[in-house]
Parts: sequence; structure tokens; C-alpha cells
Amino acid sequence: MSEERQSERDSQLSAMFDGELPSAECELLARRLTRDELLRAQWSRFSMIGAALRSERGVALHDRVAWRVQSTVAQEATYGDGSVDSAVNSRTAVIVPASELRAASAARWLRFARPVAGASIAAGVAAMSIFWLRTQDDSQMQLAANPVTESIVLQPDTSSAALARATAPVVEERASNGEPDRYVTPAPNSNASIVPPARLANYVVAHSEYSGPLSRRMALLGLVATDPSEVPAILDEESPEPTAAGAVDGP
Amino acid sequence: MGRDSRYRRSRGFGVSQRNGARFVALALLLGAGVAFGAEPKEWLERMNKALTTRNYVGVFTHVHGGRVETLRIIHRVRGRDVSERLLSLDGSGREFIREGTEVTCYFPDRRTVLVERRAPDGPLLGALPAIDDASTQVYEIRGGERERLLGRSTRVVALHPRDEYRYGYRLWIDEQTSMPLKTQLCNQTGEVIEQIVFSTIDLPERIPDAMFKPQMDASNYRWFRADRQVASNTAPALWEAMRLPPGFRMATRSAQSLPGSSEPVAHLVFTDGIASVSVFVEPRKPDTQPAEGPARVGSSSAFSTVVDGHQITAVGEVPPTTVELIAKQVKASKAARQSTSATEGLGLAPQRK
Repeated sequence: MSEERQSERDSQLSAMFDGELPSAECELLARRLTRDELLRAQWSRFSMIGAALRSERGVALHDRVAWRVQSTVAQEATYGDGSVDSAVNSRTAVIVPASELRAASAARWLRFARPVAGASIAAGVAAMSIFWLRTQDDSQMQLAANPVTESIVLQPDTSSAALARATAPVVEERASNGEPDRYVTPAPNSNASIVPPARLANYVVAHSEYSGPLSRRMALLGLVATDPSEVPAILDEESPEPTAAGAVDGP
Repeated sequence: MGRDSRYRRSRGFGVSQRNGARFVALALLLGAGVAFGAEPKEWLERMNKALTTRNYVGVFTHVHGGRVETLRIIHRVRGRDVSERLLSLDGSGREFIREGTEVTCYFPDRRTVLVERRAPDGPLLGALPAIDDASTQVYEIRGGERERLLGRSTRVVALHPRDEYRYGYRLWIDEQTSMPLKTQLCNQTGEVIEQIVFSTIDLPERIPDAMFKPQMDASNYRWFRADRQVASNTAPALWEAMRLPPGFRMATRSAQSLPGSSEPVAHLVFTDGIASVSVFVEPRKPDTQPAEGPARVGSSSAFSTVVDGHQITAVGEVPPTTVELIAKQVKASKAARQSTSATEGLGLAPQRK
């Protein structure tokens, strides 16, 4: 995909999140999301960044990224200046006539267009600063050759209510099951590994065998998803022992 | 008189009928109440079943420590054979692949591969642990409300820890498929430690073998492999935890070989029905420094200590204090302390070639 085309897609996604994309184009983009894995990955990131910008529960970007995002937003607009009235500072879904919705949306845009635009740019900055995409492998093609009984594609809700919510300023969303309103993702523990790192990896793999499905996935994610650039390396270990049980060789 | 009597009898019978009806109604209401109360637990059970018995291919975003990464998971069940592949689509490009009894971890960023062989009679994935009545003593299972998540109808279930020895979960379970579309790992105060959100999940009838091949050429990587198998579930009870955090009990013990090690390792597993902690016991090599202290891998905590000349390491998806407490409570029995052979000291059965 050319750089220009990629940029256009990014703009479309950003506009969709900001509620600026016309509904016809939303539909087209949503359809494209069902087919294009890279686009879905990008969409996931936009949604994460959007959630982080809105300080939604459970999402906080890395400090350095968050700082860049926030400083970009700060340059573009006064964000979070406390001028939001309580009527719009709510994500409660309310059914309103389309005309009122458009009027309310326009009014909100007058007030929040600049911050949202800033957020969009910030999302781009964040995306550029922390993400890079790998080329798509052929797994999807392999899967395509087999019948899929069910396929779930989580798409942005492009309904009017959703668009109204998307254009509304940010807010804390109250959990439906009585959980606290605010969640913060704590920074990872930076304790250096005391156990030899490769041994620790072995232990985690062996342990995962006896975990429940959920905690098992979390355990394995600790091995697979760790970014080597900032987390103490898992496998920077001394030379392995050339023993019978721990043979070191090629495949 | 007779009429009155009939009337009374009739009336009495009527009262009895009404009482019966009330009793039935009450029983139905209570039954409904029980069913309603059990609903979140039922959703958890459905989810566990879906995760362990269905074929699925999903792409998800993982957030931990402010870092966002996209990964793909491929899970296939054929009879008792479970194959799984978890790979990072951006970032490190690491992969975890399980096929049958072989587990392989590819670390392209370290040009290293770990290969472990699991016991063929080991637990089928998801067989341990199981949510039971004891679990509800240490977790509050609540929720079950319907919530829309990115265009799908989900049930939100929260597993809230009742103390500081375990983490909780918040789950958005797809109503149609029972797959968890969003998962949050939270501490006792509700802070999210880790989050997974799926963007797509396919549930194919078949998944070809080709999808469990690594996407890298690892032929010139360093390979660490555990070639020998040791008997599992036959180790005598020479190691045990003297005290455990509330709700934890021993689930299983086994002996296994690990890559890069010539000696088998005793593996004890403790669980509270949701979380589990593994304790690994191996004889300490005299020429190495003893490992003592905490460590972390993702949201998993680990703690190492030395007991009776053995290296003890506890690992689990629990808070650091829990693994520390358990590791420090593992003791050798008198037989283990008196044994002269390192392998005997582990209480392990002879190895199977």
C-alpha cells in the first residue's frame, strides 16, 4: 500500500472515530475492516489511543508516548479546560431526534472541534511513535480455504447514538457491574530478574500448562508480548549447558 | 352441617392447594433466584468451555504497563490434541507454538528457541483449575449484565478478589459464542494491570497444520531443548507447602525436564480455582550463586529462595506477595533432607527414556 493511500486510510479511521466521516463512507470502511487485517490492527490502535486520550478505564499509554500526545493536544487546543457542562459530559445513551442530534452535534463541534482535531493529530503522533506494522502473512489465506462456522468482527458502532457518543467529550464510563470508575494501568515492575532469565521463561511455559484458560493466556503473553527494548531481557542468559537434557543445537 | 363440613373440607383442601401452589411458586422463585445468582458463574463456565474446546483464530490488542501490542492467537482442538499458536504481530515478533506434546517458543529478538516436551498424560488444557464453591469463598463473582461492546452483545462478568492474595478479572463474554471479547486483569482495588481486546475472532471448523508453522526461519538460532521425558504425577510427597494463602490448595505435583537442565525438576501446583501458582524445586548447583528475590514476566510474578540446598521458585498470575509467601512455605520432608542423591532429594521417580 502506498504511503499516500495509507495516510488516506489513517485519516478515514481517525475521522470515523471523531464522528466526522459521512455514514456512507463509514459503511464502506466498516466493510473494509472485515477484510483487511492491517486496517483492523490500525483501528484497534486508534481505539486504544482514543480511549487513552479520553482517560477511559484500563487504558493508559506509556509515559513518553502519553507526553507526546498530550503536548500535541496542548499545542492544538485547550484540552480539558473544565468548560464542559454536565449535560454533555455524559455517555449515557439518550435517544433524540436526528435533527436535534445534528444540532447538538454541531454545537458540540463548535466547542470541541479543536480538541478533537488535536486528539486526532495526537493519535497520529502516537501511532507513528510507538507502532509499526509487520507485513501480513498468509495465515488469513490459509484460513480462507477452510469453512468458518462463525466470524466475529468487532466494528466501530456507526449508529447515530454511537456517533453522538464519539463526538461527545470524554467522560468516565460507569461500569455496569459496580466496579470502580477509574482504572489505571500501573507501570511494569522493573525488578531485575533474580532467577536466570531463560530458566524463568521455562518456568512460565511449564506453569502455563496448569493454569486456567484465562490466566494461561496472560502467562504466555508475558513471554510473547514483552517488548525487548524496555523490559529486562528474558533470554539474555549465560551460555547454556551442553547437557543431555538441555541439548543446545539447531532445529 | 355436612355442607359446612364439605365446605370446610373443600376450603381446607383449597388452602392446602393454595399453600402447595405458593410453595411451588416460592420454589420456582428460589430456583430462578439461584439460577440468576449462578448466571455469572455459568457464563464463566461457558467461556472456559469455549476457550478450551473450540477452534478459533483471533487478533487482539494487548495493553500492559502502558504498552500496546497486537497479537494473533490460533487455537485448535482435535480430540485430545490441542494445538495453539500465539504470535506478536508487531514488536518483538515472538511466537509460542504448541503442537501435541511439544511446546516451542521462538524469540527472534534473541535468536533463541526453547523447546519443551509435555507429558502425554499431562492435563488437557483448561482441565485445571476449576471454578468451584471454594472459589466463591475467595472471589466475588458478579455481573452478568448485558452490555454492548463494539457492535456485539456481551455479558459482563467480574471476578473480584476478596483479599490481596489474588488478582481479579473483568470479562466481556460474547453472548453468541461465549468467547471473551475483552478481558481485564485487575488488582484488588480495581486497577487494571493488563487488558486484552479482540478485534476479530473466527471460529473455523478446521484449521490447517500450516497455520501452526513459525513465520521465521530459526535454523540458525540457539535451540534449548528438553529431550528427555520424566514420569509425571508419580513423585512422592517429599515437598510440601506448610502454609498457603486462603483458598489455595495443592492441585497436582509432577516431575519434568526443562530445557537447559540435566536434572529433572519437581513441579507443585497450587490453585484457588481461578489463579494458580507453580512451585519448581531443583537441586542447587554448587558452583552457582543462589537465586533469591522477586521477578516478573508480564503480569506473572515470581519469587525464588533456597531451602535445604534446593532452589525453590514460585511463579503465578498473582500478586508478588502471594508467590513470595508460597515459595517461603515450601519445605522438604525429612526424607528429602536426608537423601544423598539430588534426584532422590527431589522426590522424583526414575526417569523414563
